[in-house]
Amino acid sequence: MSGERIAVLGVGQTKYRSTRGDVSIAGLVREAAYRALEDAQLGWGDIDAVVIGKAPDFFEGVMMPELYLADALGCVGKPMLRVHTAGSVGGSTALVAASLVQARIHRRVLTLGFEKQSESNATWALSLPQPFSVSANAGAGGYFSPIIRQYMTRSGAPDLIGCMVAFKDRQNALLNPYAHLHQHDLTFEKVVESPMLWDPIRYSETCPSSDGACAMVLGDEVAGDAATGPVAWVHGTAMRSEANNFPGRDEVNPLASRDCAADVFRQAGITDPRTQVDVVEVYVPFSWYEPMWLESLGFAEPDNGWRMVEDGSTSLDGGDLPVNASGGVLSSNPIGASGMIRFAEAAMQVRGMAGEHQVDGARTALGHAYGGGAQYFAMWVVGSEKP
Amino acid sequence: MGDGGGLRADLVLEYPFTRTTGPVIGAFLTGLREGVITGIRRSDGTVMVPPVEYDPVTSEPLTEIVEVAACGEVVSWTWVDPPRPQSPWDEPHGLALIMLDGTDTPLLHGVLVGSAAELWTGMRVEAVWRDERVGHICDLAGFAPEVPGAVA
Repeated sequence: MSGERIAVLGVGQTKYRSTRGDVSIAGLVREAAYRALEDAQLGWGDIDAVVIGKAPDFFEGVMMPELYLADALGCVGKPMLRVHTAGSVGGSTALVAASLVQARIHRRVLTLGFEKQSESNATWALSLPQPFSVSANAGAGGYFSPIIRQYMTRSGAPDLIGCMVAFKDRQNALLNPYAHLHQHDLTFEKVVESPMLWDPIRYSETCPSSDGACAMVLGDEVAGDAATGPVAWVHGTAMRSEANNFPGRDEVNPLASRDCAADVFRQAGITDPRTQVDVVEVYVPFSWYEPMWLESLGFAEPDNGWRMVEDGSTSLDGGDLPVNASGGVLSSNPIGASGMIRFAEAAMQVRGMAGEHQVDGARTALGHAYGGGAQYFAMWVVGSEKP
Repeated sequence: MGDGGGLRADLVLEYPFTRTTGPVIGAFLTGLREGVITGIRRSDGTVMVPPVEYDPVTSEPLTEIVEVAACGEVVSWTWVDPPRPQSPWDEPHGLALIMLDGTDTPLLHGVLVGSAAELWTGMRVEAVWRDERVGHICDLAGFAPEVPGAVA
């Protein structure tokens, strides 16, 4: 990476729940932002700018909520930017904030993603009718299920790989106090027997609807050196996008995803991701996306990502590449925050601050987010050492 | 066929969003339902009406909700004639910034008088409440000229 070095100085999360009826949107974002500042041992006056992200405004029906959130985020009189990249927005938002530090425009930037899904209906917001078009009214599950079926067909993966991912992530969530779903009584058999929502996606293989916010404080090298606690250093950042529909598009393994991964690993000096990365937080809203993204990111050969699930490689308990130790999107999904949670969890791992879901000795981690029709990608590699 | 011969279609999107008001805005709306106007006290002692959750200068959380007077003084105004279709008022009316007694920020609301000649900066006004209140700014029907000697 060129330019200024970037450090993750602090992380703050709300407990993710189906409904946070006790707080306004302002109160929700405040909670995460305050915790990130506390973690960074900084005050509002130390922050030079705020970069905020959320899903499209239709999701809560508040147009440009960032304007009214300036007071709650200590941003009066400071620059405030809003980032829009659908479900990947939490990741893209962190990267825009990082770029402001990297370019030496600001020294310390607060970045935050949020969603209050209880105030709307994401499936409605994702299924808006268009004139002169037939609406499938299918939401995200209906959109992605044929793509997953295509992956199953071409990879020859056994039918229950998705259930294995879902059970693993829900078990991991039990170790994460912020996770929305804490399903103590869940068994693998219950996952398999759960209702089929969008064949081949079962109820237990899909993400919940969550209220929540996640924030990070990013700083320059001086700020990182001055921190009294451990910081995470950013080793690479990349974003890519492509149209969601064009002839010849590989929807299972989009070119934008492959290009984005190649770029971020090149910046981080990583030539063999499987051996050089210790832990991965990848955006998996539907279980099968774990093996699909492992292939696209270069952790597995094409059509072989499912073998890493089957042999336990991605397990927190003994796997060589734990994936979504936090429980992932499958266990918490405040959409606008979900990507930032992946980035923040990656940082927490290399800071050694992930608590019960800490991967021992994690030194290099990947945070990943995707959005739209698997067409927007954001990734960063963070490490315990300076790049 | 529309202008220029292109196809045209209506597109109406509707969804009944929920809004969680939180402890401060929620207290203000609950007060209106009970026929009481509330503000919030800042650390320098000034009172803002309507209340806000975070101090607009220091960003500190604000929590001290205070009941304020339902009467005050017009500090600025305009005359609305005719009202627009979605206005809360059907008749021509004043729209004024009203500094309620004991507060430091003015509240925007209607002043229910018959003509612009009956409205002036510095005039005293008092709240007119609706009989049926739901927790909405329009639980206040508006403000009317204060009757001298009456208890607000």
